[in-house]
Amino acid sequence: MLAALAAEVGDFVRPPIDWHAAAPELTLLAFGVLLTLMDIVWLERGRKWAPALASIGLLATMVPIITLAVDGADRSMFGGAFVVDKYALIMKAVFILAGYIVVLISSNYISEGDYWENEYYGLLLSSILGMILMASARDLITIFIALELLSIPAYMLATWRKRDLKSNEAGLKYYLMGVFASAILLYGMSLLYGASGTTLLVDLNESISASDSPSAIVVMGIIFVIVGFAFKVSAVPFHTWAPDTYEGAPTPVTAFLSVASKAAGFVALMNMLFVGFIGRDDVYEPMIFALAAVSMTVGNLIALRQTNIVRMLAYSGVAQAGYMLAPLAVASDVPDSALAATVSYLVIYAVMNLGAFAVVIAVARKTRSAEIDDYRGLFHYAPGLTVAMTIFLFALAGIPPLGGWWAKFRIMGAVIEANTVSGVVLGVFVAVNSVIALYYYARIGAKMWADEAPDGDLTPVRVPASLKSALVLTVAATIVFGVLPGLVGDVTKVSLLAGVGG
Amino acid sequence: MIGLLAAASADMDLYVAQNIFFGIIAAQMIYAAFRVVTTANVVHAALWLVLVLSGVAVQFILLGAEFVAITQVLVYIGAVVVLFLFGVMLTRASMGADESVASEKRSMATVVGVLLFTVMAVSLIDSFEDTRLVIDEPQSTTLVSDSIFSQYIVPFEAVSVLLLAALIGAIVVARRD
Repeated sequence: MLAALAAEVGDFVRPPIDWHAAAPELTLLAFGVLLTLMDIVWLERGRKWAPALASIGLLATMVPIITLAVDGADRSMFGGAFVVDKYALIMKAVFILAGYIVVLISSNYISEGDYWENEYYGLLLSSILGMILMASARDLITIFIALELLSIPAYMLATWRKRDLKSNEAGLKYYLMGVFASAILLYGMSLLYGASGTTLLVDLNESISASDSPSAIVVMGIIFVIVGFAFKVSAVPFHTWAPDTYEGAPTPVTAFLSVASKAAGFVALMNMLFVGFIGRDDVYEPMIFALAAVSMTVGNLIALRQTNIVRMLAYSGVAQAGYMLAPLAVASDVPDSALAATVSYLVIYAVMNLGAFAVVIAVARKTRSAEIDDYRGLFHYAPGLTVAMTIFLFALAGIPPLGGWWAKFRIMGAVIEANTVSGVVLGVFVAVNSVIALYYYARIGAKMWADEAPDGDLTPVRVPASLKSALVLTVAATIVFGVLPGLVGDVTKVSLLAGVGG
Repeated sequence: MIGLLAAASADMDLYVAQNIFFGIIAAQMIYAAFRVVTTANVVHAALWLVLVLSGVAVQFILLGAEFVAITQVLVYIGAVVVLFLFGVMLTRASMGADESVASEKRSMATVVGVLLFTVMAVSLIDSFEDTRLVIDEPQSTTLVSDSIFSQYIVPFEAVSVLLLAALIGAIVVARRD
């Protein structure tokens, strides 16, 4: 019986695996396993080493990413389902470094709150593993699995302060909306598979762009897939979960969600648009156009009225998602500059938003709140934090010479370069919204610098070392990206179109 | 109806029996699916769902996809529905008939359901029209396992990490402490 079975499976061919290309994922996986094992073997004694091991794991993962970047060759496995090119490496580096900063801003918060430290870092690492896998995924199934691997740990991290009702609400809302989006996305993917008979994005593009006008099922498939990712990047009208989840989740997790998780959604969307749907621009461009324009405007207008800084950052994140979507709406006219614009925006946004959340965490150590009114007079007792927060807020608003202006400049450049009506209209939207956004960012600045501290309480904020180093890193990066924009410009000169193929 | 199906498949000169069974099971599934959303009893709804899902499994067998059919039974009927029933048991949901279960926001749900059905039906019919998919031979489990361990090895391994992470996280979240 066994012999018969063996004869039947005899023709199985082991797929060639490029271990170097898979090394970043494997390294991170190894450290995640190590972290879990440490908890099993050492129990409580291992607790205090968990953040250190997690950061070592993340930094160690940078090693293969750097060697792959030095090597420079585009690598492709499984017929193009797993691709390592410049774009993938940049996004992997962004996820790893963002994850590292999240570990830095988490370590005191999590250990002082007596939350489940070891499991926290384990889940964080598995979520980051999903993200770096996403950067290489060029296949419907791999993209879906990577999306679940990055989302499911995040659902649980959002509810990590489990004795707090708001945190429970945050996790539950995020979970329900997330699985709802996943279901829609998966249905869209199944329709596309049904229409094309392939899961590889390259072949999918060939198949669906063969005819002049798309068949109804392809249109439905593309719409469902984009809706699914629009939830992930919190674009209007699929943003309703974001403010409540951001407010209730532990603040380091909020920082992680608003930066890494959103970037991963964008990476997935870019993979789909630039590799899978690029020939069907007549379907996705109007849709992305509408999402971008509405997200910017609605996000900014609601952000104006927020009294809680985390909710304000949530709505500003919705608006920022709109800016990042804008170049994707002209993806077929100027594919390379559109991709480069969104990638550089993601890089810079990651730095400045993580920094803003680091300040929020530092200030909350004293005030125990995230109300904007509690930032009054911050300058009088925490001048360093005030300067840092001002830098991040003005960078988010896009004021030179801080990082954000260059990001916005690239977006404007791409949509204007397209020289289409929709591109120019989006450019106007970006310009008008930048002005609206400046108002609510500057309002916080004014409160911090000009007002008196509430109750005249001037005890300084004690900032622990790890939080301080996160702040120094993000401030430095925000300024460097703004002063030397060529740095990001050179790195993000990527093309997805060249890297595809078997 | 069966006669109609037989007539329709006569010119296809194959799969007559399959087409007849397809019709019978499809009708049963549609009826059960209606009952899932119209019954006032949550437990009954879960049991009607079992009928719908087992109908799907049988359809897969008719298509010659044995592995998918068995997975459908194991995962959906074996795990998901049991999870539903446990959920009903462990929460304070009423076990008996509860009119609010089926009547809440009924008109809204009907509109959405009818709209989605129309759009999907039109686009599916429009896209495939009279395309004939001929299945030469049943899809063997060997084929499935071969592609899992070659073409799809990366997502397969990622799923195992995902399951472990979900398990650890679920224990932390569910623990009473």
